[in-house]
Amino acid sequence: MAAKFAVLPCNGLDKPAGCVAREIGLRLAERDQAALICPVLAHAAAARYEREAAALPAIVIDGCATRCASRLAAERGFKVAQKVVVSDEAKKAGRDLGDSLRLSDELSPFIDELVTALLAAAQAAPAAATTPADEGGAPGEQGGLEYDTHIKDKFIFRVPRSGFLFNENDCWLQPLGGKRARVGVTDFVQQSLSDIIYVTLPALGTEVEQFGEIGAVESAKAVFELVSPAAGRVVAVNNALLTNPEFVNENPYEKGWLAEIELTDLAADRDLLLDAAQYMEILKRKVAEFHV
Amino acid sequence: MSEENRKVIVLACSGIGKVYGLIAREAVLKVARELRPDAARTMCLALLMTDDAEAHEIINGATCITVDGCPKLCAAKNGALAGGVVAEQVRVVDLFRAYRGVNAGTATALTADGWKIVADLAGQLAEKIDALRAAGTLEEAE
Amino acid sequence: MAEAEVKVGIISCSGEDLAGGTLSRLATRKLLDERRPHHTVTICLPLFLAGGQEERMFARAFPTITVDGCEKRCAYKATERLSGKVNASIVVSDIVGKEAACGCPLATDALNEDQQRMVELIADAIEAAFDKAQGTRKAAKIVD
Repeated sequence: MAAKFAVLPCNGLDKPAGCVAREIGLRLAERDQAALICPVLAHAAAARYEREAAALPAIVIDGCATRCASRLAAERGFKVAQKVVVSDEAKKAGRDLGDSLRLSDELSPFIDELVTALLAAAQAAPAAATTPADEGGAPGEQGGLEYDTHIKDKFIFRVPRSGFLFNENDCWLQPLGGKRARVGVTDFVQQSLSDIIYVTLPALGTEVEQFGEIGAVESAKAVFELVSPAAGRVVAVNNALLTNPEFVNENPYEKGWLAEIELTDLAADRDLLLDAAQYMEILKRKVAEFHV
Repeated sequence: MSEENRKVIVLACSGIGKVYGLIAREAVLKVARELRPDAARTMCLALLMTDDAEAHEIINGATCITVDGCPKLCAAKNGALAGGVVAEQVRVVDLFRAYRGVNAGTATALTADGWKIVADLAGQLAEKIDALRAAGTLEEAE
Repeated sequence: MAEAEVKVGIISCSGEDLAGGTLSRLATRKLLDERRPHHTVTICLPLFLAGGQEERMFARAFPTITVDGCEKRCAYKATERLSGKVNASIVVSDIVGKEAACGCPLATDALNEDQQRMVELIADAIEAAFDKAQGTRKAAKIVD
């Protein structure tokens, strides 16, 4: 049976609460619907549980207030549906977890109660999950945005569903409120170029016209010059791309943004821009010619 | 510990889809077979990732230098996961910053410039191995 | 020959420890670059094993051919484990013999004529498997 939720216990070995957390994880994992996540493996190999992180709501079980499992879940982009901290639950229930790292039979009913409650909640509301931070996500989600996707062969092309405008040159603009907006390249660009090696950021203060150049991204294959979707003045640049150009590949719409501009007149520029649905049609035509 | 097991394991991702994977592969072959045959050896990354017992036994606790084509870091992550002690991590894509505009070839075959990059990278790997030896990292385990 | 309609994924080992890895890789690239350029998709084995979402998604949805340098069959085992089915498994040592496949590791520019012929033979086998996966019949190839 396909797993319906992921279980990430802290597995803390040096405290009774950590051992209880582990036991809760194991009892949940005995259910067919649970996918048990090994926290050590999840920490050592980020890619190992990518699929589970993307697809399944997660039950995160911490032994104590250090919350190692919660931190790991955030780092790895798990969609946290439920969290439990064993030391808090023990306090609420008036339970003494003792000093021994070997769990006594006396703790079994307490553990079973927690397992039952977690299962009931998992079955009642499997979709209620906080969105993961930054990386990760299923093809329809990445960070805080929701995406529509188009797939060709093994390549997934994402277009944010709302909040973005596009030009036919595969660049996007995200109004941020007031007169500011961010610009960057679409998934089509980063897939076409493959690994980005260099990013050329525009200088602060640069005045750029609609369809003027506003930076470039470069891979071993080609240089792609960004065509600004709107007119404005560059007020911020994403300096992180100078040391981590791969952010453009990993997440071109969020951490891969290139510059922020103070818009001159978006209303006037808007006529020549595309919304997500319109850009998706253009993207599909381009992807039909796509061959890596 | 045998002579073979005292060698540094140079672990390449060998990614078949990108030129970076080919460069990683050729560089580790060059260093293990030409430049430092007495001090370096290769290992099939896929064997580690399919839990081959023999491969795991060899890499467990062994000093490794990983050479990944791209930022996905398949070799670095899985070398560490298998118990290797990753002394150095190299990403071929970073090396390309020093070769801006150069056409290195494809995932199938390298150009002359691509082979120069291989030679450069293999040289760097050899130096890293020498540094590890000088630091006493490769001494026989008790 | 009928136009191929369904893409086929090829998952090849590139085993660094023996010649079979180089032969596998080059034969697979031959399919991708020359023989079936628009109808094959390469799947990066390390990324596939490490959890590459796009790689695994494709292997689950499309026919797959695995190409392994030696009997350990890393590509086959990984694909079967992670995508549940393999349409065809090519093992280089079955085609060119164990001695050739398990020989010393080869740089891609260091193949002699015999080894280049081996690459062609392996590519023939992959191509035949591709045609079978597509359900098309290929005319018999005349070999000098």
